[in-house]
Amino acid sequence: MGKLPSTLLRRPSLAGYLPSTSPALPHHTPTTAGGLLSTPQKKAAAAGQVRHATFVPRSRRPYQFTQLVQLSDGSTFTVRTTSPLALYRSAKDSRNHILWQPTEKSLRNVEVDEAGKLAAFRERYGSSWDLDAPTTAAGADAPGAGAAAPGAGDAAAASKEGGEKGPAVEKKGAAEEKGDKKQVDAKEAKPAAAQEPAEAAASADPFDSLVDLISTYASEDKNTKGGLSAKDQARKEKKKK
Amino acid sequence: MMSAPGRGSALVRGSYRVCTQCARPAPRPRIASTITTAPRASAVLPLASRRYYSAEPATAQTPTPESTPPPPTSTTPTTAPKPDLYRIKSGVILTRAPLLTREQTPFESAFYFYQKRLNERLTAPFRRQFYFKQDTAADLDFRIKLEERHGVPAKDIGRYNPRGRKAWNDELLTGSSTSDPAELVEKLLADAEVRVSEDGEPIAPEERVPVERPVPRRSEADEAGDVKRLDRAMERTLYLVVRRAGAEGEEAVWEFPTGLVPTEETLHETAARVLTESAGPNMNTWIVGRVPVAHHVVKPVVGDDGTSVVERGEKTFFLKGRIMTGQADLTGNKHGLTDFKWLTREELQEVLPEEYYHSVRGMMELR
Repeated sequence: MGKLPSTLLRRPSLAGYLPSTSPALPHHTPTTAGGLLSTPQKKAAAAGQVRHATFVPRSRRPYQFTQLVQLSDGSTFTVRTTSPLALYRSAKDSRNHILWQPTEKSLRNVEVDEAGKLAAFRERYGSSWDLDAPTTAAGADAPGAGAAAPGAGDAAAASKEGGEKGPAVEKKGAAEEKGDKKQVDAKEAKPAAAQEPAEAAASADPFDSLVDLISTYASEDKNTKGGLSAKDQARKEKKKK
Repeated sequence: MMSAPGRGSALVRGSYRVCTQCARPAPRPRIASTITTAPRASAVLPLASRRYYSAEPATAQTPTPESTPPPPTSTTPTTAPKPDLYRIKSGVILTRAPLLTREQTPFESAFYFYQKRLNERLTAPFRRQFYFKQDTAADLDFRIKLEERHGVPAKDIGRYNPRGRKAWNDELLTGSSTSDPAELVEKLLADAEVRVSEDGEPIAPEERVPVERPVPRRSEADEAGDVKRLDRAMERTLYLVVRRAGAEGEEAVWEFPTGLVPTEETLHETAARVLTESAGPNMNTWIVGRVPVAHHVVKPVVGDDGTSVVERGEKTFFLKGRIMTGQADLTGNKHGLTDFKWLTREELQEVLPEEYYHSVRGMMELR
């Protein structure tokens, strides 16, 4: 392998010191120093120190530099790295990412649709292709929009003919259809409970009953992608007016 | 600014302003079936059900008037109903965590410097050919800088050759600033300058573009002495104090946002409500736990006869809050607040009344 660095101690060579008869040494020999060591060994001990230690080679580590890392907001820190660059500027980090900066408006995933191509697509094919379309979408006029609402999963799936009605009407119809079945969907739980025998919902703990737990999930806002798209914002503003 | 992901906030959102722990019904007292005739006094309950937060009020020997709850201090039965000596208040100590790591002490920087030179002796040598293709602009650039550093690949250890004749001489002389972290940053910034053009020509010193300086540790708010901004004193914890206009004839005092605890609220609920009422909703805050971190007692003023209460005392419990984003806004607050400041621990000592500061200083970090 590689040569030893000159600053480290060399392992002393044991060639001249090892007694050739040591394995055959009888056990019942008197253990005095004079009896154990033969004459050449005495000479070797007098000549120099013997280390019967194994040499453990130091692990080879790559050379490391100190590097200055600058985050996107200008703050800096130093790291030890193998990169010979003195300064590393990060383009995307926790300082300009929506996951860590949920209140930063400039990081929102706003749909840029200046040419109106996306709007034209929606007008023609509906919004059922949008993954994060809101559950109360007014896209009822579009064909196939009934099955679009992801939050209303089983209610929408149950009503196959409810394409023409608005989503709210359609959901109510689904609830009546499935009156005999177990209705789990949160928004339908109350009208369904009127027909069904009273559930064991009397428990005082709000999170004990499964229905309540699921309802909290259903009411959770689906805004996981960070912000409304331009389309949804426009819709919201229209509602306000 | 930092912010916290909403851990489990979806669960809590369903039931507004009632936390899980509070909404859970109180444990019912389990009475042994053998005791049938004994009166249901709290004294005979099994140990496990006698808790401090039991829903049932302990039946005291003396009936107290329904309108006023028994004073929390009276644990021993008394013959006469004690007057209400204290008002219970709850407040929040809103803190901003340090944004920067603190500066190194001279010992620390000396230690890190020593470790770097020690590492230089033990690590494998730097191989330029592994990182830079021969005679490219980056290679020429690195070679120029390497030559200026007298062949030392590291930028921050000074002139030291671990394999040379003077490898033993690894200690800095007294007064040397080589181990200073500020100087380290300067060296790294100087090294980041491009010295060779794209076609491999060395750039003249007057044509070199200096590297953009990193943001300094002291912000503009520090320089201007603005105590209202949240980006001041970035390596210290900041605390929000508000100035409450005193009643007629009284001075306005600085304090933490506090408010009276109504009967139907718990301490942490009041603290959160008071914070919103006084500093506005435009803050992303987090009340750390439901247990107060400090309390302050103002003794009641008792009349000459020893029983009549001239002025009731106050017991204020403080909960700890953290601010992630946003800023305090006192417009339209319901507590008569006129001003606010974000102060460090030492500045609080100057602003707050002495006893008040003494009560809360235990919760403050050293930084």
